[in-house]
Amino acid sequence: MKEMEGVLYQTNAPTGVDPDNIYFVQVDPNKCEACGTCEEVCGTGAIQSINDEGIHAVVNPAACMNCGQCLVNCPYGAIYEGVSYVDQIFEKLKDPNTVVVSMPAPAVRYGLGECFGYPTGTYVGGKMHAALKKLGFDLIYDNEWTADVTIMEEGTELVQRVKEQGKPKARPLPQFTSCCPGWVKFVETFYPDLIPNLSSCKSPIGMLGPLAKTYGSHESHVPAKKMYTVSIMPCIAKKYEGMRPELADSGYHDIDATIDTRELAYMIKKAGIDFKSLPDVKPDRELGESTGGATIFGCSGGVMEAALRLGYEVLSGEKLKDPYIKAVRASSGVKAASVPIPNFGEIQVCVVSGLANTIPILEQVRQGNSPYAFIEVMTCPGGCVNGGGQPLDPDLRASLFKNVMARVNRRYRMRQTV
Amino acid sequence: MRNIIKMTRRGFIRAAGLACGYAVLSVNMTKEAMAAALAFVEQRQKHVYDADRNNKLYEYKKSQDNPMITALYDKQDGFLHEGPCGHMSHRLLHTDYIDRSARVKALKAKGYKLAL
Ligand code: SF4
Ligand code: SF4
Repeated sequence: MKEMEGVLYQTNAPTGVDPDNIYFVQVDPNKCEACGTCEEVCGTGAIQSINDEGIHAVVNPAACMNCGQCLVNCPYGAIYEGVSYVDQIFEKLKDPNTVVVSMPAPAVRYGLGECFGYPTGTYVGGKMHAALKKLGFDLIYDNEWTADVTIMEEGTELVQRVKEQGKPKARPLPQFTSCCPGWVKFVETFYPDLIPNLSSCKSPIGMLGPLAKTYGSHESHVPAKKMYTVSIMPCIAKKYEGMRPELADSGYHDIDATIDTRELAYMIKKAGIDFKSLPDVKPDRELGESTGGATIFGCSGGVMEAALRLGYEVLSGEKLKDPYIKAVRASSGVKAASVPIPNFGEIQVCVVSGLANTIPILEQVRQGNSPYAFIEVMTCPGGCVNGGGQPLDPDLRASLFKNVMARVNRRYRMRQTV
Repeated sequence: MRNIIKMTRRGFIRAAGLACGYAVLSVNMTKEAMAAALAFVEQRQKHVYDADRNNKLYEYKKSQDNPMITALYDKQDGFLHEGPCGHMSHRLLHTDYIDRSARVKALKAKGYKLAL
């Protein structure tokens, strides 16, 4: 076990293992104080009391979506991560025959700074790329670039689906986003009948892996077999996604390792890099340049907004003058909106975060009376900026007593309303 | 009495916690804690939307305006020259999903209670 930014990690780097059998998060029974916070935040019930004392555990990986919300909300720090590639990455960075590729997600740059004393949410994108270079990453790609690619693919798919309605073999509406691996596993596990509604698009990192080893290999003149691609995420579920055996479309496994924001902060500190004094560095342009539409992927509603910035122009044939579509921004929970598009009509959309919130919406889809054309779902409340791999909220454990009491009180009131 | 003596440390925290939760804590305090957690997320979100608005950080706002996206899909010599959802896209960027319901069904059959 290794402690990184206040969270314990098992330091194994599994390869060729079926991710369905891995506990990406688990409870240390010696630290669990039976407060039940984890159970409260879990959308599936995977984490539950296993004995009379109320000690909690993830009962089976099949029921766990690997989101890590239980971990970041545990006031006792009793929950640890089961997988860490950090040691392996340090080895690869030293190996002169390996070309190490960095692929950080949008939300990482709004969390990483907190580990170096910046205020909550501070954008540190330029310093993040500089730190990756300093660590020895050879190719500085950016998952924000593939967020833009995702919009092109997923937006095009949505327009196709809208146009094919009523025709034979039409793919169903609403289309669901497929960026969030917790959500994708949730559909596969609890709503397999709705798999046809999931966009066939891989997530941005699911796209950057194979593009790095094909297009990136061509652009950089580095043979794909020398590449070691590192997915850097605000997320624990992305570790599961990176290990999916089917993600091998480049002819190699597309994503070689996945770490989260906390682990990146640990690596930067371990290497003795003075983060605050770093210059701002841009990623390699071809697989790195990105737009505002890409960076908002980190917020609940961001994928929807970025997709509408494309969909509006494709469906209306007109330029969208004001790209900021605030009607679909959602700090938490569920937000439905009707967006007027000239020469087309109103498009009904819905943005959801928190898996428990999806259930009524999915039941509507099952019954065939969902009013929506497009539904965005993020597992973590508020989106990836609040992901299970992000730095912990410093207040969470500092105000332990107050927090636990507040939560107990809330649970009590929830029970009263049932 | 015997019950109290037998009570474990964790059981005690739980019982005491519940008692305080019912009796002592004001509703305001609960609201404060919840607001604090939300404010934390909203703060990160605010910085994201600020960056989106910042033309120095993000010159372009729409994915289709990104010059490196136009280059990728360029009809002449782009790597994905057939455009979005073309053959190459389908080979590299799209996927199929797997029905994973069997294992949770088996868990439930064993008596595990899940949220759904
Ligand atoms: S990681 Fe997510 S799905 Fe798994 S037990 Fe924790 S909260 Fe539940
Ligand atoms: S919302 Fe983001 S951080 Fe949370 S599980 Fe989904 S992809 Fe990961």
